Amino acid sequence: MSAQKSLSNRTSQQLTPSPDYTWEYEYYEIGPVSFEGLKAHKYSIVIGFWVGLAVFVIFMFFVLTLLTKTGAPHQDNAESLEKRFRMNSFVSDFGRPLEPDKVFSRQGTEESRSFFHCYINEVEHLDRAKASHQTTALDSDVQLQETMRNGGQSEEELNRLMKFDIPNFVNTDQNSSFGEDDLLISEPPIVLENKPVAQISHRVLD
Amino acid sequence: MEYLTNLHENINKTARNNSDCPWVVLPEEIFFTISIIGVLENLLVLLAVIKNKNLQSPMYFFICSLAISDMLGSLYKILENILIMVKNMGYIQPGGSFETTTDDIIDSLFILSLLGSIFSLSMIATDRYITIFHALQYYSIVTMRRAIIVLTVIWMCCVGSGITMAIFSHHIPTVITFTSLFLLMLVFILCLYVHMFLLARSHTRKISALPRANMKGAITLTILLGVFIFCWAPFVLHVLLVVFCPNNPYCACYMSLFQVNGMLIMCNAVIDPFIYAFRSPELREAFRKMIFCNRYQ
Repeated sequence: MSAQKSLSNRTSQQLTPSPDYTWEYEYYEIGPVSFEGLKAHKYSIVIGFWVGLAVFVIFMFFVLTLLTKTGAPHQDNAESLEKRFRMNSFVSDFGRPLEPDKVFSRQGTEESRSFFHCYINEVEHLDRAKASHQTTALDSDVQLQETMRNGGQSEEELNRLMKFDIPNFVNTDQNSSFGEDDLLISEPPIVLENKPVAQISHRVLD
Repeated sequence: MEYLTNLHENINKTARNNSDCPWVVLPEEIFFTISIIGVLENLLVLLAVIKNKNLQSPMYFFICSLAISDMLGSLYKILENILIMVKNMGYIQPGGSFETTTDDIIDSLFILSLLGSIFSLSMIATDRYITIFHALQYYSIVTMRRAIIVLTVIWMCCVGSGITMAIFSHHIPTVITFTSLFLLMLVFILCLYVHMFLLARSHTRKISALPRANMKGAITLTILLGVFIFCWAPFVLHVLLVVFCPNNPYCACYMSLFQVNGMLIMCNAVIDPFIYAFRSPELREAFRKMIFCNRYQ
């Protein structure tokens, strides 16, 4: 193989140094390539590779956009129930009092994580508004109220969060994306009471 | 890598038989410009994270790791160009031990940057995945200490692999290892992001029927993965062809585009901050503060 030849040549050349050692030898390996008798176009690998790459990326994009329009509802329901349970306990976690000096340093990261969970909270509360006797939602509501009481997050902080976050939340809803960073990093409210949630959800829906 | 760069140098010296597929030569100024822009951008990202306490979380450390790899890649190009210029001016004896050692060091730097990029991208995707799917245990899984340990271990492995691969470059196992690593990471990142995307789609559909949000999600994901694929795959294919079919005319025509492929990797270093670091509003805010505070002072 040319690679092995080049390496052996390199080691031998190191004993007797001369200019253009390995490179020239390696160069001769690649240099005299005959271009006669080519059946296909000489740049066929180049063209084929780039076309294949473009097709793959476009195909991936179309698959993703199709996924946005269609989807299996049963899968969604199962997923959403699961996520609701998870998000409930996450909220109870979040409701624990944070050390005051760390509140703002963690605020960014926690809120960044909680944006998604806020969507899920939203879903929860919307469904509750529609079908008021869903046990899961009621349980979660009770849990949330409890954690509100236990967590002891002050009204001020909540207001700050809500004030701070509602424009972001609405903005991201309209303008940007599921860009993971947008979703994970913008600051949503973890709203734990009925009234503010209803207001926010109405705003979002409007 | 260096043998191909020297190949470029020797073009004028030796007659080429394959004038049908001329070596595509890009002016050195383009490489210099792109590399310097890459270094500056990634340095800014690093400074923004170092100077702000609220940005010192595992998520931003992974983004920093990506910025460091991109910076190393751009530095490699700059150092290589400087070395070639110095050699052409005659200050270094060609073929001497100084040249070979510096070539080896620069090669290891390049491979280190490639491996670092691959692993940083996978770590960022894993971190986002854990954020979404294991949100409850996120703070117990991804602690600062663990993040730093993981980063240290991975970078040590990258340094070791970089040195090993630079020494044994163009051996078949090295190339196969490198290619399979690239493909594995690509598939891994693809699966993580698609799974996250599916969750996002199902939830945003319930909340509001805005197709725009989902469309933008698809676009973002395509950009993230597309940039990774477009910038890396050409170089990986080049390395494969060099080892497996150096004498084939079709392969030779592909390999004549080596400098374009190298430039794509430099472009990746320039684009990455925009699609990873600067997507975060907090980092943008820190960045603005840094610039405007400096102006006031």
